[in-house]
Amino acid sequence: MLSDREVLSTLAMLRNEHLDVRTVTLGVSLFDCASHDFDVFADRVRTKIRHYSQKLVSTCNEVGDKYGIPIVNKRISVSPMGVVCASYTPEQMVKACKILDEAAQEAGVDFLGGFGALVEKGMTKGDRALIDSLPEALAVTQRVCSSINVASSRSGINMDAVALMGQRIKDIAARTADKDGLGCAKLVVFANIPQDVPFMAGAYLGVGEPEAVINVGVSGPGVVKKAIDRAVQSGSAKSLGDIAEVIKRTAFKVTRVGEIIGTEVAERLGLPFGVADLSLAPTPEVGDSVGEIFEAIGLSSIGAPGSTAVLAMLNDAVKKGGAFASSHVGGLSGAFIPVSEDSSIAAAAASGALTMEKLEAMTSVCSVGLDMVAVPGDTSAATLSGIIADEMAIGMINSKTTAVRIIPVPDKGVGDTVSFGGLLGEAQIMAVPGGNAESFINLGGRIPAPIHSLKN
Amino acid sequence: MKKVVVSFLGKDGPGVVHAVSSLLTGLECNINEVSQTILHSEFAAIVIAEMPDGCTIEALQESLVKGLAERQIDLSVTARLYDGRSWSAEDPQSFVVSVDGPDQRGLVAAISGILGEHNVNIANLKAIVPDDQPDGHALIVFEVIVPGAVELSALRNALNAKAEELSVRVSVQHSDIFEAVHRVQPV
Repeated sequence: MLSDREVLSTLAMLRNEHLDVRTVTLGVSLFDCASHDFDVFADRVRTKIRHYSQKLVSTCNEVGDKYGIPIVNKRISVSPMGVVCASYTPEQMVKACKILDEAAQEAGVDFLGGFGALVEKGMTKGDRALIDSLPEALAVTQRVCSSINVASSRSGINMDAVALMGQRIKDIAARTADKDGLGCAKLVVFANIPQDVPFMAGAYLGVGEPEAVINVGVSGPGVVKKAIDRAVQSGSAKSLGDIAEVIKRTAFKVTRVGEIIGTEVAERLGLPFGVADLSLAPTPEVGDSVGEIFEAIGLSSIGAPGSTAVLAMLNDAVKKGGAFASSHVGGLSGAFIPVSEDSSIAAAAASGALTMEKLEAMTSVCSVGLDMVAVPGDTSAATLSGIIADEMAIGMINSKTTAVRIIPVPDKGVGDTVSFGGLLGEAQIMAVPGGNAESFINLGGRIPAPIHSLKN
Repeated sequence: MKKVVVSFLGKDGPGVVHAVSSLLTGLECNINEVSQTILHSEFAAIVIAEMPDGCTIEALQESLVKGLAERQIDLSVTARLYDGRSWSAEDPQSFVVSVDGPDQRGLVAAISGILGEHNVNIANLKAIVPDDQPDGHALIVFEVIVPGAVELSALRNALNAKAEELSVRVSVQHSDIFEAVHRVQPV
């Protein structure tokens, strides 16, 4: 028999606090689809993705219905295409990206991730072709996302790749200038990319992963915020230690939802369950915001002094609560702070309460990095590379994942508003730090791996 | 040895459970199972017990009524033979049907009617008044057993149609989700 509190609190989470499973992501390995003959490759990819994904959406809907928990997004992640398509030219890479886009559309998923490369120590011809194809590939497709790993704690930072990515981000923005540089919102530059992220745009299926697998991304910033509000109002949370406990317990609940749904979807599809990624991922909707949590803990807004401390506590408490709730935790697991995707963070950036410098500081304790940051269109490639290099350094030295998803919005400047639509949200363009990094970026080469990479 | 099922209903207070159980013991009945609950000031219990062969249902009921009156315990008693037959379904699944919205006459009857039509058995039913809701707001929680053969989407559609008619919200969720979210299961 269920208690009143159990029933009431579950219903409240669903009806008033935006509890949902943010994504069920089907990972499909495409390594066995490789072929020097493009038509053979295309046929294999279509057949394989169709085989595994044909029941993905309907199964997710059935399981979501059974438990009364919406599975908001169904997605697909694939093997890094820089490896699968290693022999292709940039033109063929664009065609390969289109094949993936069509497969995603046929499967009924909103995004497919994995059109990416792992180049932290060096770049193969295939990796280079893929990176060079990005401006065209991301412009002519709707659903394909790309992630490029340019640094790791084991290998250091590939500064040649960092320099190249700064330039490619400019190129992608220019190629999708009619949509305010939207192509850049589908590209993430990573340090220490996890092999099993279910969240976009960074999702891909790593080389150590199975043939096909179900990974789940749970969310729930609204649930955490309301739980803190209740605890503070009722007087049961008297200190930050109490609030951390509230966050931990709430993360446990939210993760359990993802675990039960993920395992059942996997079972029904006859696939292994990979991981639950217990991340607080906001949406532009009010009440589904990570930024609002900062306000609930007593800051005027995210970006105020104290924000890094709050984020550190939040990120850690989410991990602690979630770790016990799932048999396998993976992906990014923490709190996301994507500027345009979170109405409260976007508002703080617009009012000047949150600056790029503070955002960078906060990324040293959040689960990803500079995410969905719109910057002026005239930001130079070297400045973008400098920003990427800083972020990669934070990840490399702290043995954590960091990432940059930055959009130099063509023909727009600081204070202008840009709207990407849907989950990508809208934001004002932020000022980038002054100074010039060009000579530094032009040096190229690799920043050596840190001393703790010798741990063995 | 026969089995009997006896229900007790009336005012709650200290000594009620002792009165019921000691009277049954005095009549040489052995209590097998008990379920008891309280709603506001009211006590209700349902007892399954073994009754000695020489005793009859009528005699048992009469003795219990008399004994409770002597002890000045305000409970009504109903006793009947227990035959062990119970409703069962193949591949049963536990679901929670929750209904909330403006309180109105006939809400429970309307929803339970739909459940009955679909051969869904109600295992537990509770009407809760949420603390944070204005007066006149009802939340009714049915814990139900749905036979495997029942088409869940048909049940859901029927409930939604009725809910719309009554201007209330209804949700149907597998009970595992409530337990998973709130409980650490014993190992």
